[in-house]
Amino acid sequence: MYSTKYHKPASIADATAALTAGEDATILAGGQTLLATMKQHLASPSDLVDIRAIDGLSDISADGNVLTIGAAATHTAVASSAVVRDVCPALADLASGIGDPAVRNVGTIGGSVANNDPAADYPAAMLALGATIVTNTREITADDFFEGLFSTALEDGEIITAVKITAPAKAAYAKFPQPASLFALVGVFVADGAGGVRVAVTGAGEDGVFRQGAMESALGANWSAGALDGVAASQDGLMSDMHGAADYRAHLIAVMAKRAVSAA
Amino acid sequence: MDMTGEYRIAAARDVVWAALNDAEVLKACIPGCQELEKTSDTEMTALVVLKIGPVKAKFKGAVELVNINAPEGYTIQGEGTGGIAGYAKGSADVALAADGDETVLTFTANANVGGKIAQLGSRLIDSTAKKLANKFFDNFHKHLSNEGPEET
Repeated sequence: MYSTKYHKPASIADATAALTAGEDATILAGGQTLLATMKQHLASPSDLVDIRAIDGLSDISADGNVLTIGAAATHTAVASSAVVRDVCPALADLASGIGDPAVRNVGTIGGSVANNDPAADYPAAMLALGATIVTNTREITADDFFEGLFSTALEDGEIITAVKITAPAKAAYAKFPQPASLFALVGVFVADGAGGVRVAVTGAGEDGVFRQGAMESALGANWSAGALDGVAASQDGLMSDMHGAADYRAHLIAVMAKRAVSAA
Repeated sequence: MDMTGEYRIAAARDVVWAALNDAEVLKACIPGCQELEKTSDTEMTALVVLKIGPVKAKFKGAVELVNINAPEGYTIQGEGTGGIAGYAKGSADVALAADGDETVLTFTANANVGGKIAQLGSRLIDSTAKKLANKFFDNFHKHLSNEGPEET
């Protein structure tokens, strides 16, 4: 056994102080990955800093066509928010399909984005929508934020406070879930938004979420599922594991991309 | 699984070879390496902290240089145990070819992970192994290109 000190700060300043003071402190943003890891003793932080009680961190609001979702908003909160449904319904749909109800009721958007699991759903949405990740010290574009398998641009002790999304003209997410974990075996988020036409793929890349350039060009010229006929996804850099080989995942990328475009 | 890669390094082969045999350089380049001590000319003990997503495991183990064929290449192999997390072992065959003032480094590496970390993270082991192997050689390349190894 090992002991872990639990903190529940009410402000970003208190959270930062607790993170700095702890010898090996880490942020608890919902814990749907972290707590499972701790139970297996694969992580044993000295301090857990629970950021969910920080004032305003769970708020969801819209200012014109810009949606701001607090980092501690649960997946259920995003899925059921009338504001999200209004500005970016594809994001509400995505949130409603993350994991199971137990995960959705506790897991948070900030936690998912910070963890950058290569099969998580949110990173695909952030990248495709050209979202801005807001932290306690700066704003980072999604393109700069996701740096590869479980890596992000976050510095030690930096806390995500919100994500900002500009309403896209069209967007949708299609996911082929791995039936046991409900993570994406392949998930594709397509968007025609402020940053142009974007196609982001999760679940398939060895280095986490990535943009599918060939499909973006095809859809940029002609936004229709038919435009993707003959645009094959490359197997290079795709994961091969017991759930699916790289060629299978490449095929699924094309299928999911078409479904997403049809739904958008 | 096998991983391969090739790097062109702007340094003479003797310089690259010396760096490959320098414990300080290896320590700076092995991702997450906190301690690396020579116990003989070809053997070292190491402490490596592996941090992948939420998992943080400390591996204690040994690093050994074998099949030494100076200055053309060697095999660097290591294995360690991470307590409850399991064990990890891996090796890389490194070959150096002189090309004018430059050196072409090629490697073939493989990694094996077992125990709880493999059981729970099976979907991620290959991606992680590839990432770590590339990180090592990237760091090594940068080190010799005087850019200094990237922070891990």
